[in-house]
Amino acid sequence: MQKRSLITRRKALLTGVGAIAAPFVITTPGFGQTGPIKLAGLVSLTGSGSPFGPNSRMAHQAVVDQVNAAGGLLGRKIEYLAEDDQTNAEAGQRAARKLIDVDKTQAIMSVWASAVGTAVLPLCWENKVVMLAISAADSLALLPHQGYFVRTQPHTELQGKEFGRVILAMGAKSAYLIMPQTPFTETVFNAIRTTVEPKGVKVQSVIIDGKKTSFKSEIDEMVRANPELFMMGGYQAENIVMAKDLFRANYKGKVIGFAYGMTPGFIDGAGKEAAEGMFACAEPAPAGGSSAYAKLKALVKKDALDTYICQAYDHANLAILAMAKGKEATGTGIKDNIRKIANNDAGVMVDNALDGLKAIGEGKEIKYSGASGPCKFSDTGNIIEVAFRTTQVKDGKLVEVKI
Amino acid sequence: MSGICVSGCGSNTNLEKLLQLTLNGLMAGTVLAVPAIGLTMIYAVLRFVNFSIAGHMAVGAFAGYMLNAWAGLPAVVAVLGAFIAGAAVGIASDHAALRPLRGYSALTLAIASIAVNIMIESTIRFFFGGSPRDYAIPLRRDWTLGFLHVGPQQVENAIIAAIAMAILFVFLTVTTTGKAMRAVADNPMLADSKGIDPDAMARLAIGIGMGLAGIGGMLVGLDTSIDPLVGFRAILSVFAAAVVGGLGSVPGALVGGLAIGLSEELSLLALPATYKSAVGFLAILVVLTLRPRGLLGARA
Repeated sequence: MQKRSLITRRKALLTGVGAIAAPFVITTPGFGQTGPIKLAGLVSLTGSGSPFGPNSRMAHQAVVDQVNAAGGLLGRKIEYLAEDDQTNAEAGQRAARKLIDVDKTQAIMSVWASAVGTAVLPLCWENKVVMLAISAADSLALLPHQGYFVRTQPHTELQGKEFGRVILAMGAKSAYLIMPQTPFTETVFNAIRTTVEPKGVKVQSVIIDGKKTSFKSEIDEMVRANPELFMMGGYQAENIVMAKDLFRANYKGKVIGFAYGMTPGFIDGAGKEAAEGMFACAEPAPAGGSSAYAKLKALVKKDALDTYICQAYDHANLAILAMAKGKEATGTGIKDNIRKIANNDAGVMVDNALDGLKAIGEGKEIKYSGASGPCKFSDTGNIIEVAFRTTQVKDGKLVEVKI
Repeated sequence: MSGICVSGCGSNTNLEKLLQLTLNGLMAGTVLAVPAIGLTMIYAVLRFVNFSIAGHMAVGAFAGYMLNAWAGLPAVVAVLGAFIAGAAVGIASDHAALRPLRGYSALTLAIASIAVNIMIESTIRFFFGGSPRDYAIPLRRDWTLGFLHVGPQQVENAIIAAIAMAILFVFLTVTTTGKAMRAVADNPMLADSKGIDPDAMARLAIGIGMGLAGIGGMLVGLDTSIDPLVGFRAILSVFAAAVVGGLGSVPGALVGGLAIGLSEELSLLALPATYKSAVGFLAILVVLTLRPRGLLGARA
């Protein structure tokens, strides 16, 4: 009598299908968590944000390397991915789709331009991926992001109020504002007006087409109006062009601008003569005296840090610690736990992921305080406590000044 | 939001403003006309709009930058390098990417030229990065002529542009080769029957056209700064200038450049500055509606 096989054809078929499907099933969220935890930086390596994107990527990678070297997170390695958003909404959206749909990242960190943030945030909340952003447009926090959004950069209304404070502190009686069209231009203009006009400062404002090659006529008109103070509110590329025209037109008033548009690259591009004396404002002051700042300096081997590399460092630390706190390596895990490790003043103060992971492992509550500041978030995702700083171009270098 | 504001301005102030904007528009238009002539020349001979002219503007700007800022040559000399680099890259990119598509429609070639443009800009970004760069030229105060003022660099740029255009007009009207090129533009089959090599004329048109684009890119950069998108930012105005003047008409591109330069600047009297780019499209719409072949017809 023929012995019946223990493996039927049906079993063999099921086993085969199962074997083929297994790698796909176990990497699908909800079917168990193995493999590396994916964290991504959507940074500006080209375009207006290119002076800052490479540093953000460096800070992310340094934090991830540090955690991986110490054994990883929740027993898994972290894989860091970086994409260039080209400081462009369309390119940023394509890059975010790749990070979310293909790479399966749980967080998108350090999105810089507001236009990119606006384009990418809906993808994030729809896919339960957290965005830890720099983008400052007020409108971002008002979107129905369901908590999948926090930012360490002060929103633009606060920045506009800071410009207003600087204008009043400088004693200007008239101010002329020029900014390119952005998602936050009107917000900044309104915040400045509501701050300075009640104090008697006369304000004129013009929105320019930032994609043009020259703004000579716009600058001519500003010089003709002869304001005591000019706010040159462009990104680096536009500011270089405007600063040259200001010099040529021999404008003698005070010039202020966003710190992100008045970088060392701006000084090189416009020339020291043209940039001399200008003020870079509304820059969130990095927590220069903090232990987190000192640790980041050592980690990336830099003598001085701008706010964006500090924020990027904080984004990576916050994402890792929030996942550890919730014992859940997902975007939802970050969303549900980020305020537990960022807003909890009663917790043990930590300034980096390694110390935070150790404290969480010991069952302690923690409060992360970072290189960019205290890192406390409102329900809408805005940063709560912010300190600004102003720098001035002196002898071709940006020097911090008190105003 | 006002355009270039002006509440409470008296009639004298308004007149001053009008004249200053006119001067600025003429200066900008003269520079704009150079790449617009390049675009229209290529169209006249090959019958498609080559949008890679933006990338070739950047090629010229960066070639001039290397000669001026790195090799220490005067900007006026570096402009020649910008022409040569634009021409060389133009001929090479056409040979590699567009020539094989000659049998296809003008739309196919125009779309392919956009791809070429992206490749050229990306290549420049790969080698030079995306940050703005500046030529090694001194920053000078404007000259003041009564209530008008004008930058020395603007005047120099306008002179360089005028010389380049004058040489081109002499070449096209006096030399045998120039006349042959015009013959191909007018009637390729007839020119072919007279023994004029259309391929050679096409290469020449591309070389001169992209060389002019290179000069245009450098002139824009001399007054502002350069980055890989220096041509991309100007391409809408360049295209508008060529269309308004009449695609295929070299004198038309000059007139179109001046018309677009003037209309963009003068629009500031009535419109917010943020709509400057829209003015070029409005000019295209108006001119094509009233005169479909552009201001000066469709032939050189």
